[in-house]
Amino acid sequence: MSWTQTLTYPFMQHAIIAILFAGVAFPMIGVFVISLNLIPLRFAMMHIALLGGAIGLFFKVDPLFMGLLFCTLSSLALGPISERMKLGLGTLSGYFMTLTLALAFILIYKANIHVLQAFNILWGNILSLTKGDLILVGIISFFILCIIFLFFKEIQAILYDREVALAVGIPEKWFYYLIVFVLGLSVAVSMRVIGALLVDGFVLLPAMAAIIISRSLKQTFFFSALFGLISGMIGLYLSFLLDIPTSSAIILVASLIIALCGLLKRNLLGYAKIS
Amino acid sequence: MEYCIRISDIHVQLSGHYVLRGMNLEVQSGEFVSIVGENGAGKTTLLKVVCGILKPSKGQVHVFGYDLSQFKNLTLLRKQIGVVPQRSISHRFPICVEEAVLMGRYGKIGLMRRPKRVDWEKAHEALKLMGITQYSRSLVYQLSGGEQQKVALARGLAQEPSLLLLDEPTTYLDNESRSEIMETIYSIHQEKKLTTLLVSHDTHWVTRFSDKIYQLKDGESSLVEGIG
Repeated sequence: MSWTQTLTYPFMQHAIIAILFAGVAFPMIGVFVISLNLIPLRFAMMHIALLGGAIGLFFKVDPLFMGLLFCTLSSLALGPISERMKLGLGTLSGYFMTLTLALAFILIYKANIHVLQAFNILWGNILSLTKGDLILVGIISFFILCIIFLFFKEIQAILYDREVALAVGIPEKWFYYLIVFVLGLSVAVSMRVIGALLVDGFVLLPAMAAIIISRSLKQTFFFSALFGLISGMIGLYLSFLLDIPTSSAIILVASLIIALCGLLKRNLLGYAKIS
Repeated sequence: MEYCIRISDIHVQLSGHYVLRGMNLEVQSGEFVSIVGENGAGKTTLLKVVCGILKPSKGQVHVFGYDLSQFKNLTLLRKQIGVVPQRSISHRFPICVEEAVLMGRYGKIGLMRRPKRVDWEKAHEALKLMGITQYSRSLVYQLSGGEQQKVALARGLAQEPSLLLLDEPTTYLDNESRSEIMETIYSIHQEKKLTTLLVSHDTHWVTRFSDKIYQLKDGESSLVEGIG
């Protein structure tokens, strides 16, 4: 079967549409994750989704929906809890990560749920997206782009230095909660699109590459979206050409882009030091 | 003359340890007041209390006549306070100097609004005052500690505050630059009729410019006599 023939199949069309949406919007969230050092939160979300999935299976409700619901509610709650308890979000994420995993295992064991069934929620596949998934990815991507467009300067100040943002009169706490919420939501949806174990590749790697070569936050957002789109599209094509898993192919391309950006920075842009 | 800051008998606890214990401070509008004390004496904590980031467990803090324990809209208050923190930015955040200075205007611009020409003009004016116009397109994280400190000062000035809080503004500077920066800060203080509260561990550099100096030791403050 040729590549053009494959494009006529709905599963491939869905995958391309998902990359167009998520490939552009989700790497922008990666910029938040790197700048605010929120990587532990992504792990916490993965385990929270697993607990949601196990509860879904127990009550015979769609485990994916429950996983998403749990991630959404947790991302709404984690920011304020961290603030109130005066615990860093990283520490709190560690706490929730282990607690939810323990609860999920108890539920799986006691309710006699098939382990693989519960873990299915963590293995997303971009080639098995439904129309409903696409609508969800589209809505969340649009939401992310709106937040970044409308509150660019507030986000810029918070990513630069939270205390500076507070000092210049930005309601920093509310924007920080919003960032955590959007992050939780995108990680949850990314799990469905690419699988939890490879979320970083979709969210973080394009952002990392963008940060290497950018000189402003606007450039960083632009390049992270561009690299997300390029790695998604080329990865999808390579997976077809070489018969390898799509998520892995996307990550390989994104990793290559990082290496190229590093080389570009070193050889062409240089490390101009201010004298 | 009215008081810009009035602090009475405040106690501030951080990680189970009292950093400030029964501290008192009075700063009148238009005054240049310095707080001196060794590292860890609670100077930075005091600045955080003044701009409402930290709340004392006991005592009262009045800023611009408002009791901060009762005042709900701290964001509004902070728009009038220019804060220049001590630390420099070490992470590779992609922002150039002029944008970092423009950030001082963000609170005043308001939510969902873009900076206008007047905001850029204020930012460039502040860059000029601090003598760092030549770095306006440079990335902040590539600058030295001293240059980053000038960026932070420029951001504080671009905010056009009534009250300027300076946390060790000359830490990363050599002696010549220190003197130059202190002269600049003082002339801006006088020209813009600001109220300035500066904290430093070095008494030598603040004596010349201060109307009043408080010594902070073991969480308590005492007025240093013979100044002003």
